[in-house]
Amino acid sequence: MSTVIERTDNTMRLSLGPQHPSTHGVLQVLVDVSGEVIERADMEIGYLHTGIEKSAENLFWTQASTVVERMDYLAPLSNALCYYLALERLLGITDRIPVRAQRIRVLMCELTRIASHCVWLGTHAIDIGAITNFWYAFDIRENILDLIEAAGGARMHPNYLRVGGVNGDLPDGFLDRLDALVAKFPGRMHDLRAILQNNPIWRDRTIDIGIISADDAVRWSLTGPVLRASGIAYDVRKAFPYSGYEDYAYDIPTRTEGDAYARFLVRLDEMDESMRIIAQVRKALEEPGAILVDDTKVVAPPKETIALSMEALIHHFKIVSEGFRVPPGDVYQAVEGPRGELGYYLVSDGNNRPYRVRTRPPSLYNLQALKHIAVGNLIADVVVMIGSLDPVFGEVDR
Amino acid sequence: MPSPQTPLVGGTAIDPTSVRPDLDDAEIERLDPAALRSRLEELRRDGLTMLLDVGCADYPARTPRFDVVYHLLAVPPRPAGVTDVGRPRRVRLLVGVPIDNPSVPSVSDLWPSADWPEREIFDLYGIAFEGHPDLRRIQMPEDWQGYPLRRDYPLRGPAYEKTPRPAFALKTNVPAGTPPSGRVAAALQRQIAKAREEHGGR
Repeated sequence: MSTVIERTDNTMRLSLGPQHPSTHGVLQVLVDVSGEVIERADMEIGYLHTGIEKSAENLFWTQASTVVERMDYLAPLSNALCYYLALERLLGITDRIPVRAQRIRVLMCELTRIASHCVWLGTHAIDIGAITNFWYAFDIRENILDLIEAAGGARMHPNYLRVGGVNGDLPDGFLDRLDALVAKFPGRMHDLRAILQNNPIWRDRTIDIGIISADDAVRWSLTGPVLRASGIAYDVRKAFPYSGYEDYAYDIPTRTEGDAYARFLVRLDEMDESMRIIAQVRKALEEPGAILVDDTKVVAPPKETIALSMEALIHHFKIVSEGFRVPPGDVYQAVEGPRGELGYYLVSDGNNRPYRVRTRPPSLYNLQALKHIAVGNLIADVVVMIGSLDPVFGEVDR
Repeated sequence: MPSPQTPLVGGTAIDPTSVRPDLDDAEIERLDPAALRSRLEELRRDGLTMLLDVGCADYPARTPRFDVVYHLLAVPPRPAGVTDVGRPRRVRLLVGVPIDNPSVPSVSDLWPSADWPEREIFDLYGIAFEGHPDLRRIQMPEDWQGYPLRRDYPLRGPAYEKTPRPAFALKTNVPAGTPPSGRVAAALQRQIAKAREEHGGR
């Protein structure tokens, strides 16, 4: 909770956090306030630092995806996708990923985006005092986590993606459950909008709060919904398409106001656009196909062939016990995560473990801008601004 | 069970960054630290207005030992509402930093967003950024010894006894007395006026 830690005649230095419930993790915000107006703001991060980048350097290429999934724990599949896309570029198998595997990847990432925005919406609104929509948002998220569990075996960190595809095809009945979600979703979005969008308290608390101009958004390296709410239409899915995103019809929602309300509207519109993509993928998924690249050097052969073929047994044993070697090189790959441009800079020295795994964490850059946008705003609105930037601290601290 | 530490690349001073330069969309350039700032300013004038990321990698067998990596992006210009943004330009600058003089000029005055990533590299690799307003550890505790992301640092570091935290320091790279932008001030004025109106002129 906030405690006064220093007081001079005109300004008071306040510490919000690190255990403040609305800091969405562990974040300490230090502010100098004059009356109720913030004059300066700074943050302490690092409370959740677990050395994920160091751990990844000491695991096999395939094992490392389990730790990178834990950076942005609300969008683990986006992290895994970005890591694997970068790895596939190093291996030179980018063009050989089966179409069905790409479609399943897109489906999972868009489901993750909606689930992540549901958490943002629920918690952001609770910070401001609106409880009801939390249950509506988490109901959608629960349905999505059930789908992810059905396909990948776990709710939060399924580790469902693999080099060259995904681990196992979608189970029986998955598409029916997906249809049920697609049918239910518009009604739920209507309810969520009805609760908040024209709610006078919500509008009073978010309109004109935490304004970021387009120039400032670029100077502070903001990406994702925060950048698009400031009037710049940059989306990695459109600018640098990956996994077949160029085949789907969808728009990039943008606003020009750059305040917390604009960011709220952009994220709501993004959820609708994600559902548009999901509906298109759903149709395409009727078509069966391979889900893993046909390359026994990086993909373990199917278990049932092991008893029949000596080569299959050897490949399986080698891949499980010592992984595979990746040709030397460095590569930067970006995807559009729920929070913005998520990038992986991978370096391989030709070994069976990554030499360097550098993440470009969108939350870190988005959160950093709070130092700038808090100045001149009221102390009570810091919570609104943090919520509207949607940081995830697993990713900020890594 | 933790995996054993990856062996260092032995003897041969392998440089993975120059092996296959055409793996991704970025244009790759190699620079000396002295040429960094002028090149970045030039690129920014050319439209690469966003500093996406500052990262680092360590090659102990190579001279210079470190690479500080700058990722730049030509952000599509306004107006909003345009959904076809083309394929923006990406540039990656690799700055070689020797171990006997691990320092690079800071760019946090050109891009305020460079503040935290530069502190992170200082914290985890021990590279100093000259001119950085507030160069101190960011992820590790303030009194930590060593630089954990260097390749010669073990996977499991030494046992660490927590010391009491130093006094709170507020050092932001947004200088004191920075006036809020006109729109923020105007919005605040509007809020105050509205509140006064609603509470009967008080």
